[in-house]
Amino acid sequence: MIQVNHLQKEFRIHQARAGLGGAFRDLFSREYKTVKAVDDLSFSVEEGEMFALIGENGAGKSTTIKMLTGILNPSGGEIVINGFVPQKQREDYVRSIGVVFGQRSQLWWDLSPLESFRLLKSVYKVEEHEGQRWLDRLIEELDIGSFVSQPVRKLSLGQRMRCEVAAALIHKPRLLFLDEPTVGLDVLVKQKIREFLRNLNDTEHMTILLTTHDVTDIEALCKRVLVMDKGKLIFDGLLENLKEKWGNGTEVAFQFKKRTSAEELRTVLGELPCEIIRENDFALRVKVSRSQEMLPFVLSTVMASFDISDVKIMEASTEDIVRNIYSTDSEVVSHG
Amino acid sequence: MGEIKHVLGIFATYLGQYFKTRLAYRTDFFGELVSNLINELINLVFIVVVFQHVPLLNDWTRDEIIFIYGFFLIPYALFSMFFGFWDFNERYIIRGEMDRVLTRPLHNLAQVCLESIAPDRIFGVITGLIIMGYAAIQLDLSFTWYDPFLFVGLVVSGMLIYGGVYTAIAAISFFSDSRTGISPMIWNIQQYGRYPVDVYNKVIRFVLTYVLPFAFVGVYPAAYFLRKETWYAYAAFTPVVGIVFFSIGLVVWNWGVRKYSGAGS
Repeated sequence: MIQVNHLQKEFRIHQARAGLGGAFRDLFSREYKTVKAVDDLSFSVEEGEMFALIGENGAGKSTTIKMLTGILNPSGGEIVINGFVPQKQREDYVRSIGVVFGQRSQLWWDLSPLESFRLLKSVYKVEEHEGQRWLDRLIEELDIGSFVSQPVRKLSLGQRMRCEVAAALIHKPRLLFLDEPTVGLDVLVKQKIREFLRNLNDTEHMTILLTTHDVTDIEALCKRVLVMDKGKLIFDGLLENLKEKWGNGTEVAFQFKKRTSAEELRTVLGELPCEIIRENDFALRVKVSRSQEMLPFVLSTVMASFDISDVKIMEASTEDIVRNIYSTDSEVVSHG
Repeated sequence: MGEIKHVLGIFATYLGQYFKTRLAYRTDFFGELVSNLINELINLVFIVVVFQHVPLLNDWTRDEIIFIYGFFLIPYALFSMFFGFWDFNERYIIRGEMDRVLTRPLHNLAQVCLESIAPDRIFGVITGLIIMGYAAIQLDLSFTWYDPFLFVGLVVSGMLIYGGVYTAIAAISFFSDSRTGISPMIWNIQQYGRYPVDVYNKVIRFVLTYVLPFAFVGVYPAAYFLRKETWYAYAAFTPVVGIVFFSIGLVVWNWGVRKYSGAGS
């Protein structure tokens, strides 16, 4: 579905010299600095996948999206999506994709969404009968029926955003790009949009790419996550693996019935690479880095050897992980 | 050709829906209708007062000048209706709306025009027709059956000339990353097309005929209806100029879009 190989994008940025004299010299000879916004990006996506592209501001996310949607031409590497090369066959290619930019509106301010939909249908030359059935379904599932006939300027942000999603899907694209679709929306609207997207992915097998800063979006929608930093892809894999890689591990807090010291616990656990933190005489915490392999062992061993009154498992939230990624430098090497 | 038909069809659909929406909010619609008409009426009074003080300019009578002015208003009104993207730089380049436009399978200039269309400017056409009518009665002009068709053709050509020049200038935004004040520039130049060109000196006349051919928006075509035979050749040439300049505008625009996408660098 999506094939990206060694994608590159360089920008030439004009370096202004300091001061008035510098400005004068700039008139005659300019100095440029080449900045690599996207550096050797490769990944592939199967049809029907739902995945998120995350990264700090300036990590090269939007440049990547712009290249994937055919807005910018790459300076190197290649992209093939739906069998099209976006920058070469743009007009044909954009018929097969839908794009929602959370910050920009694609509806006509003076018209009602319904009329905008009709205009968009003629832009995409959508077949009348089939198109109407699809539109009816969009209106029903996004629950926008009660206000689609009001002018867009009279709608609230949440109402408008749902109409934007419908507008991007009017031609039943096979691939949907969502660039920060839930910025500024309340929880209920977010939930509605997410439910709708999940359903769309289930029933229509639509491929969905999401960029967002809202971690709850990713948790609710995506199995697969791509993380970019300084133009490079630093992670490509499942959300669970992301948690293992960047999470601070999983912590298990044991409440003992008898006084237990950290040393006693250590003897029981043996050589297992884990950290034991003492809270008080009756409470100890065990921190393991790879939960899938170690957690069952820790639990069963400790439960078998001591009298336990309470166990709490604390997993790092995706939000913590994303914070971790953003704050560590990109020294971490990517894996496949 | 198919593409042009497609674009025109979408414009027609938009305008239909726009006025339908307007009519649905009846009080709003009539309020705006009245305020637009009053606005145009004030313009009209102003023009008449100004021209009261203009005697004869190089063989042109006052009524002839009023006629030219009235004619000029019509392609100008259509131009400002369809090419309303005076904030192009700010809205599409700086705020990045151009990105969204590029993800649609319709020519991007058509989309920009469609998004910034100002249908209310259509009232300018009415003012123009009233002024022309008044002058025509004063001048006792007579028209043939095919004149209305020529009129439409000349008006559309005039609109295309403005559109082409304006598009080319707006396309500068693709090349320069600073804010460019394109609208004041255009505004200054377009004023010249309203008056007979032979009142200007040679240089300006040359510029208005060949470089920025705004004389083709007002004077030359209007001269045909005033039966000034010396200008017939120019009037006949108007559609050609319209098509040529609009094509130039389009070429510059497309070049700019390619630059925007980074094909050149």
